[in-house]
Amino acid sequence: MNLIREIWQSIVRRDPLSTDKGKSELVFLNVWLHIHPAKVKKENMKFRHTFYLGFITFFLFLILLTTGIALMCYYRPYPPQAYQDMKDLQFVVFMGPFLRNMHRWAAHGMVICVFLHMCRVFYTGSYKKPRQFNWVIGVLLLLVTLSLSFTGYLLPWDQLAYWAITVGTNIGSYAPLIGGQVRELLLGGHSVGEGALIRFYVLHVAVLPAIIILLTIVHFWRVRKDGGLSKPVWKLEPKKAETLVTIGAPAVVAPMQAVAASKEKTYGLMEVVTGKPIFETITPEEEEDTVFSYPYAFVREAVVMMATVTTIMTMSLFLNAPLEELANPAKTPNPAKAPWYFLGLQELVSHSAFLGGVVAPALMVLALLAIPYLDRNPSRRLADRKLILWLFTIFVVANLVLIVVGTFFRGPGWALVPPWVHVVGGTE
Amino acid sequence: MDRREFFKISWGAVGIAALVSAVGVSLAAVVRFLMPSVFYEPPQSFKIGEPGDFPFGPPTFLVDEKIFVFRDRDKGFAVASAVCTHLGCTVAHFSSDQRFHCPCHGSVFGADGAVQHGPAPRALDWFEVTQARDGQLRVDKDKVVPPTYRLMV
Repeated sequence: MNLIREIWQSIVRRDPLSTDKGKSELVFLNVWLHIHPAKVKKENMKFRHTFYLGFITFFLFLILLTTGIALMCYYRPYPPQAYQDMKDLQFVVFMGPFLRNMHRWAAHGMVICVFLHMCRVFYTGSYKKPRQFNWVIGVLLLLVTLSLSFTGYLLPWDQLAYWAITVGTNIGSYAPLIGGQVRELLLGGHSVGEGALIRFYVLHVAVLPAIIILLTIVHFWRVRKDGGLSKPVWKLEPKKAETLVTIGAPAVVAPMQAVAASKEKTYGLMEVVTGKPIFETITPEEEEDTVFSYPYAFVREAVVMMATVTTIMTMSLFLNAPLEELANPAKTPNPAKAPWYFLGLQELVSHSAFLGGVVAPALMVLALLAIPYLDRNPSRRLADRKLILWLFTIFVVANLVLIVVGTFFRGPGWALVPPWVHVVGGTE
Repeated sequence: MDRREFFKISWGAVGIAALVSAVGVSLAAVVRFLMPSVFYEPPQSFKIGEPGDFPFGPPTFLVDEKIFVFRDRDKGFAVASAVCTHLGCTVAHFSSDQRFHCPCHGSVFGADGAVQHGPAPRALDWFEVTQARDGQLRVDKDKVVPPTYRLMV
């Protein structure tokens, strides 16, 4: 028994979790958990502060990673086989439809949650100093998420996939000077064909996941280094707003107590440097308001994870991911639509390909990236930020309206058809 | 500037230049690598059959080539692209109004291919059609011709 105990203690080297030391060692002696602080502010765990959207997004990504690897075992990225493999997944493979549904719904969910998370961060002003660059990382993560979803859209090689990617990549080719070449580079040919399928596959299962994992690590790391989550907006005090977002050490520092060296204590070798930290420092009163991450934060995370997985699993039991007939380059479905999150773009493109397909999205992305640098207002309080809140709300609503119009109000020939009108046979 | 500083700066510059050019060349090589040297795609110039294969009246749609072959008793042959100039969807020719309709964004092209309605930025392409030595019709998608172009056989 002693050997078993020794093995166990060689793996888990922390003190028992009943002690405060054990609770903190659980976090900082563990490479996977130490992205958490040992203690967290109570207010930061409130649901109404973050709606846990970042965690939900992360857990959706984990679902995508695991189901995606499973699906790879039965998928060959080559035109005729790719579609056959989808049919196999649908009808032959054990749990195939369930896994594919989970992958599909988690992907849509991730696009939605990344967007909602961005809105939450915007409305709470959490992109402000010192978190400006983390907002930029976040916008990049949004773009990579969209790219992942877009590249995955082609892989079933059905009519839906083929024409969504044909329309989607043609939008890109309107970019001046390089648009055509970039499309050729992406497709490995002049039209969506076998070259495009293998390239999209490589992007989808290797390149983009690697990028999103690297960016996520930076994203989380910076949240941690910025002192955890931003302070909830309801905790912000009027007038003193600037001091709350200004970084730096407290003005008055208590004199250090000299303690005689003793053999009872052990010492780690650390370096003492001068200067101020970049993160928000907390006051002794705020310190009072913290609890150990174990169990309080971890339990909440586990609950969010279970809720996310359960939701996706339940959806996957009842809703099937669409699979249309085999891709047919000769027959364009009417109407041919891009993936739903690009339908706002397609709606714009139906009016002007260059303005709607190139200028508008480029300006949108640039504006999002520049927000923390253009917004010079140091206050995070909603009452102090009326104008920019309105602007952002208009941006969000405009995008939603365009997507809704493109998704539900466009019929054959891209004619304006309300969803409650049933078109028989289209225009042909 | 003393000798030591001169060498420090110049070696530094040489180092940075070497790094930048190495990265630049590597990036260029990656881009070139991703550009296929051979496209395993259908050729741009191909034979479509004997002139007698095509009826007078409504155009014949060739699915794989994505072209319409028009044959007129008086004017002869003409070949129009079926690829919408907007976003690459395949247009359909309606005999009822003699126009081309795109299903994706509602572009409409007249009988001569000119944009009449919708977001398409330019007219449909017309391709050169010639008669090969064996009597078959040959279409060359690399040679765009005016809509008035006709081949009399």
